[in-house]
Amino acid sequence: MTNIKRANTSGITKTGTAIADVPDAPTIGAVTDAGTGTSVTVAYTAAATGGTVTTFTATSTPGSLTGTGSSPITVSGLTTGTAYTFKVKGTNATATGPESAASSAITPATPTSYQSIATFAVGAGGSASINFTSIPQTFKHLQVRYIARNTSTGYVNGGATYMQFNGDTTVNYSFHDIRGEGTSTSAYGQPASGGNNVMYVNGSTGSGSSNTLIYGVAIVDILDYTNTNKNKTIRVIGGQDTNGAGYIDLDSGAWYSTSAVTSIQLTNGTFAENSHFALYGIKGA
Amino acid sequence: MAAGSTYTPIATYTLGSNTTVTFSSIPQTYTDLVLVTETTGTTNGALDVRFNGDSGTNYSRTGLYGDGTTAESFRNTGLAYGLISAGAGATRSIAISHFMNYSNSTTYKTYLTRGGDASSGPGLSIYLWRNTAAITSIALTGDPIGSNIGSTSTLTLYGIAAA
Repeated sequence: MTNIKRANTSGITKTGTAIADVPDAPTIGAVTDAGTGTSVTVAYTAAATGGTVTTFTATSTPGSLTGTGSSPITVSGLTTGTAYTFKVKGTNATATGPESAASSAITPATPTSYQSIATFAVGAGGSASINFTSIPQTFKHLQVRYIARNTSTGYVNGGATYMQFNGDTTVNYSFHDIRGEGTSTSAYGQPASGGNNVMYVNGSTGSGSSNTLIYGVAIVDILDYTNTNKNKTIRVIGGQDTNGAGYIDLDSGAWYSTSAVTSIQLTNGTFAENSHFALYGIKGA
Repeated sequence: MAAGSTYTPIATYTLGSNTTVTFSSIPQTYTDLVLVTETTGTTNGALDVRFNGDSGTNYSRTGLYGDGTTAESFRNTGLAYGLISAGAGATRSIAISHFMNYSNSTTYKTYLTRGGDASSGPGLSIYLWRNTAAITSIALTGDPIGSNIGSTSTLTLYGIAAA
């Protein structure tokens, strides 16, 4: 109850009592398909004038389905393949204000089986670790795709990234690989017995490459990651080429734990600016 | 963590005759590109790849393959094109190529291919295109460069967008 600016929509002002101003209409923004087939996000900009809003509500047409929160608001319960528009309005202790203009129409599409979950783009100054946390348990498999350059040493041009799950730093990881280094092939393994406390994911470009424009790549498949009755199996394809050196690598690995994978951590030195990591989920039937 | 559908088809070519293929005006809205090829009819069992029409010696690769009796590795430097496995003559070959972070204009482009055919075995290759430009077109021919890819070949380009 901070200001008396005008009468509310009923046109009545109570003499002697401060009445909070009615919210003005927000400005509608972009509506984005959330990728679930039944939900979208609705962006808006709060009005610079009017009363302080305590709740913003987005409402669909048709269906009058609603969502609340800050921008962008998620509206769920939509029907796949149906076109919707949305309006946003603000509410405070005094009243609910007028609605925004309608958004552009959007039709939630049938979700694909391959969905983006999260991404990290390393900025200036680099990053010591990449952490995917609170991983949804609604997919069948996970895939991590990255390009990276870090300060790793010890392999061709450095060129290794360490992966751990659920913060497990004990010797529960094993891996085996076959690699081509241009003129020769080799294989390497770290068995489970007395194994390793990380899984090697070869695919970054390390300190051995002086050309800072060159980044290695890797694609990591983590299969059946939500099961709680067997260990987890991982496959990696990765490498780097520096026009005269480098390697291509195919790895298989395991995490000796029956826990569902809920977080993934990638480390080894400092990841350079412009390294990019993305996590995807693959649906099962 | 929000999830969003992706792995979106951008364009497909199903060749009705022997010809070359160019994916042009590639949208810059994805994170990675994936090229899936099922090809035949090339002279030397490879597809030659050029980005943005670049015919300079800016391509290199390191590869690994198995032929049924041995595993071998090879390297090519200073190439005027990239190479993806393809079927020679009547042999059919498949390859899946991943062009990572293709739209950035800061780093060289690294991409990898997994492919093979029944006659020569499977292979993996990692490539470097020494150019910081965003990839806006991918031109594919048979090998030697400029020759045709066989009819009935199919080539599909997908886009993957990170959240």
